[in-house]
Amino acid sequence: MSASALLQTPLHAQHQAAGAKLVPFAGWEMPLDYGSILEESRAVRAGAGVFDVSHMARFWFRGPAAAAELDRALGARMDDLEAGKARYSLLLAEDAGILDDLIVYRTGDEEFFMVVNAANRERDREAITSRLREATFEDRTEDGGGILALQGPDSRRVLAALAGHEDFCPGFLDLAWLEPAGLGTLFVARTGYTGEHGYELFATAEQIEALWSRLLELGATPVGLGARDVLRLEAALPLYGHEIHEGTNPFEAGLRFGVRGWKSRDFVGAEALRAAPEAGREIIGLTADKRVPREGYPLLARGREVGVVCSGIWSAALDRPIATAYCEKGVEGPLAVSVRGKEMPVQRAELPFVPHRSRD
Amino acid sequence: MRPADRSYSASHEWVQLDGDLATVGITDFAIEQLGELVYLDLPEDGGAVSRGEAFGEVESVKAVSDLNSPIDGEIVEVNSALADELSALQDQPFAGGWLLKVRVSGPEALDGLHDAEAYEKLVEAEH
Repeated sequence: MSASALLQTPLHAQHQAAGAKLVPFAGWEMPLDYGSILEESRAVRAGAGVFDVSHMARFWFRGPAAAAELDRALGARMDDLEAGKARYSLLLAEDAGILDDLIVYRTGDEEFFMVVNAANRERDREAITSRLREATFEDRTEDGGGILALQGPDSRRVLAALAGHEDFCPGFLDLAWLEPAGLGTLFVARTGYTGEHGYELFATAEQIEALWSRLLELGATPVGLGARDVLRLEAALPLYGHEIHEGTNPFEAGLRFGVRGWKSRDFVGAEALRAAPEAGREIIGLTADKRVPREGYPLLARGREVGVVCSGIWSAALDRPIATAYCEKGVEGPLAVSVRGKEMPVQRAELPFVPHRSRD
Repeated sequence: MRPADRSYSASHEWVQLDGDLATVGITDFAIEQLGELVYLDLPEDGGAVSRGEAFGEVESVKAVSDLNSPIDGEIVEVNSALADELSALQDQPFAGGWLLKVRVSGPEALDGLHDAEAYEKLVEAEH
């Protein structure tokens, strides 16, 4: 795709002014970093960072049938999701292959908001709308608004300052509507993709530039997609196209909670899940001494191929390479990865690499 | 402007020739594209390098890339200390961050490479 065909977020000029390295990502021109992936990763773990994730697709659903129809369309239960709460879900194909993972926010009894991966936007839209009968659907990804993720232990202070009252703090997975001075009503959720205490702020076209500036003034560091990948892998959160894709099933990916109730519920893919044999492999964590085990490297146990690396990156928190891999269940003994034909020893590590503090 | 006393390849390596001894490195543009470096794999002394062929690998936080030789020749010295001091490569790719010294057959080893001005244009086009 040529650069001119790439979509830009409403904060493109702000990223350029902040010295961002802009790269193509899922059809969008996005900040990879603002100078240092590792420093930005550490800023989120130690303080507060703000990510522009306006490339992620924003879908809205409305109507009296929305709850029941989404319950059937998605892996996680939607009929018992309370208004004002968010929930993680998988989107499955009929054969139970994973089409995407996403977050649903119930904004009212008859209104749902959904955020899906940018790379899967068209396919998700097609799959989901084909499963709706009466509920209305709207793709508002390109309405000029966007999503800012405010993440890190200091994000609570930043959000409270933004809201204008000291003790403001929505609970984990709760939605809230703030009234920041001069910005109008702002929709916020206690969700994120870093394993840290954090929020996602859903700004309108009128709000987003002022909101970005306000968050920086309040002490949040701009953070790019490079650090987002470091942070999510440290927290062992799956990334579509890596840990999960159409050829993986929810159980081997450790995402049973994205299809809760699968034994008895009726949703697209449930029947195939019930018929599927028990997964023979699982996701494990790896660390290495110097080189990063990269995606696609074969995983070896005593020279025998027992799996494959899903994602690998240099961890800022551990100051060493980390990776996730699919591995046959029950494999014991020392592991290695094959780096262009050469064996490199790796160590099995507990997941997540960095403990979650998102509920703190 | 990058140092005018050397030649550049389209794959972002530089060569500085002194007699029949060529010093080889990668450019600041290559470093900028890679991002923060975490690992460097260089060959042993004494081997041969060929133009366009990989002689090592460099890894950043995000990715791993081949190091390609811009020239043909025999390796006479490797900056092996660099692997433990990646900041020298990150910060001074044209000085302390050199990678190899290579014995070449003569000045014709540089044929087909770009001067600093032409390389500048090439980089602008990639930006």
